[in-house]
Amino acid sequence: MPGTLYKSAAIVGAAEANQIGFLKEPVTALQLHIEAIKNLSDSTGLPISRIEGVFSTGWSSELCEHLGIRPKYIDTTAVGGCSFEMHVHHAMAAIHAGIIDTALISHGENGHSARAIGGRGAANYGRGGVNSPGQEMTMAYGLGSAPSNYAHAMVRHMHRFGTTTEDFAHIAKVTRDWATLNPRAAMYSKDVHPFGGPITVEQVEESRLIAWPLTILHCCMVADHGGAVLVASPKVAASLNTKPVWIAGAGESMGHSNMLEMEDFTATSASVSADAAYTMAGMGPSDMEMALIYDSFTITAAITAEMLGLAPRGEGHLLWKDGRAAPGGSFPINTNGGGLSFNHSGMYGMPLLIEAYRQLSGTAEDGINGDKGKQTSARTCVVNGTGGSLSTTGTLVLVADD
Amino acid sequence: MSYKFPVPTQGTHTRPFWEGAKAGKLMLPRCQDCNRVHWYPRFICPHCHSTNLEWIQGSGEGTVHTYAVQHMAFGPWAEEVPYVTAYIDLKEGDRMLTVLRGVDPSKPEEIRIGAHVKVEFEPANDDMHLPFWRVVEG
Ligand SMILES: [Zn+2]
Repeated sequence: MPGTLYKSAAIVGAAEANQIGFLKEPVTALQLHIEAIKNLSDSTGLPISRIEGVFSTGWSSELCEHLGIRPKYIDTTAVGGCSFEMHVHHAMAAIHAGIIDTALISHGENGHSARAIGGRGAANYGRGGVNSPGQEMTMAYGLGSAPSNYAHAMVRHMHRFGTTTEDFAHIAKVTRDWATLNPRAAMYSKDVHPFGGPITVEQVEESRLIAWPLTILHCCMVADHGGAVLVASPKVAASLNTKPVWIAGAGESMGHSNMLEMEDFTATSASVSADAAYTMAGMGPSDMEMALIYDSFTITAAITAEMLGLAPRGEGHLLWKDGRAAPGGSFPINTNGGGLSFNHSGMYGMPLLIEAYRQLSGTAEDGINGDKGKQTSARTCVVNGTGGSLSTTGTLVLVADD
Repeated sequence: MSYKFPVPTQGTHTRPFWEGAKAGKLMLPRCQDCNRVHWYPRFICPHCHSTNLEWIQGSGEGTVHTYAVQHMAFGPWAEEVPYVTAYIDLKEGDRMLTVLRGVDPSKPEEIRIGAHVKVEFEPANDDMHLPFWRVVEG
C-alpha cells in the first residue's frame, strides 16, 4: 500500500540563475535566488504573485519581502545540503493538507563570489560582507534593539486612532496582575525580583524611557526560558496520561522582513494568519474564550488583539483598560503574565503554547506555592505569535477536550 | 571631524544610488513596465515582477510617516541619545528610514506626522554620502 502522500504533489518546473559558475562580477546569494525564481516563473507560466508557499534554507521571509509576496506557508528548514529534498517533503505535506497549491523551493549561494564580497549562503549578511539591500539602506540610522523599531508603530497608532501612552500602559499593568498569580513568573513578587509584584499605570508611564513613547515597562523582559510541547495523532493522544488539547485551526503569514517594508504600521499579518486559523477551525473570534498573544511590547498586544478580531481597529487596548483581559475578567489574555512579566527569552512562541495547553487542560496552577487564581474556565483559546519587527505571524485556535 | 557612525557596505546593484548621492542627487529605482518607484532597491519589481528597472532622479521631498525618539542605543549612536528616527514617505512613493534632522528630541509631541522634509547628504567617506532627511516646515 502506498503511503498517504503518494502522488499527492509533483515538481512542475525547474530553473537556474542567469549566470552560474565562477562569475567574474561578484553576485550576492540574494541575486542568484531572485534570478532563478524569475526564470522559473517565466518558464512555467506561473506568475510570482501566485506562489503560496516559500521553502528555503533560512531565506524565506527575505525572499518574500524582495518579491513583494505574502505567502500562506513558510519553511526555512536549514539542516545542510539535504534541506531542499526535505523542503519537497514538507511542501507535499502542505499541499496534501490543502493549505497551499503552489510551493516555491529556492536556492542561492555565492560560494565563489563570497570570497570577494562575503555572504556565502546565509540569509544573515554582515560578517564583513555586503549588506542585504534592505540593510544597506537602513543600517546607518541608529536603530538596533527591538524597542527602537516598535516605537514607530506605537506613534503611528496614536496618530491614527488617537490612542495615548496611558491607554497602552493598562496592558502592562493588567499583565503584571496575572504574573502576581503565577509563582513561576519572573515578576511574581518583590521577593522574586526587586521590581516584581503589582504595578500601577502611573509607574508604567513614569518608568525609564527606552524609545519614546516606549518606557521600559511597556517592553518585555529578556530572561532565560526553555520549554517543549508534544504534538501527536488522535490515536497516540488517547494512549497518554495527559489530556489532549485539540489544534482546531492554524495559519501563518508575513507582512515584511525589514520594518522599512511595513506598509501599515498599525496592522500585522495576524489578520491573515488568524483568518486561516479561524476558517480551518470553523470558528471565529466570538467563539474564543481567552487569548495568548505575544506581548513583546504593549503595542504588539494591542495591535494583535485588533488583528485577531477580538476588538475593532484602534480599540485593542480597551480589552485591558476596561478589565476584560484581567484576572476575573470576561476574556482573559496572557494568563501566565506574558512576555512583559512572566518570561521572554528572545523568542516567546513556546511559552504561549505551554500556557495555552495548561489553561485548556485544566493544569494552569503551577502549585509551587499552592497559589490559586490563574486557572480560567476557558474552553477555547486563540494563540498568536509575532516574529521579527511586527513581521511574521502564526495563529492557532486551540480547544479543550470534551 | 570624521564620520563616526556605522556606514553600509555598498551592494552589487546599488552603485547608481551611491554615485547619485555623491553628486547630491536622490536616485530611486523605478519599474519601466508599471512605472512605480520602489525602495529599497530590488533585483525585481515587487509590484509587477518585471526586471526592466531603471534609476530616476527623485525630488528629494517627502513627509514624515511615523517617528520615535531613541533613548537607548548601541555603538557610536549611544553617545547621541536622545535622537529622532523616522520613516519618510517619498513624494515618488514608498518609504525611507532616516535619523530626522530639524526637530527637538526633548519635545516628541511637537514633531508632526505629515511634516514636510527634504533630503540632504552627509559624506561618511570618499565613496559613501549618506542621505538624511530634515523637517523644512512644521
Ligand atoms: Zn513593476
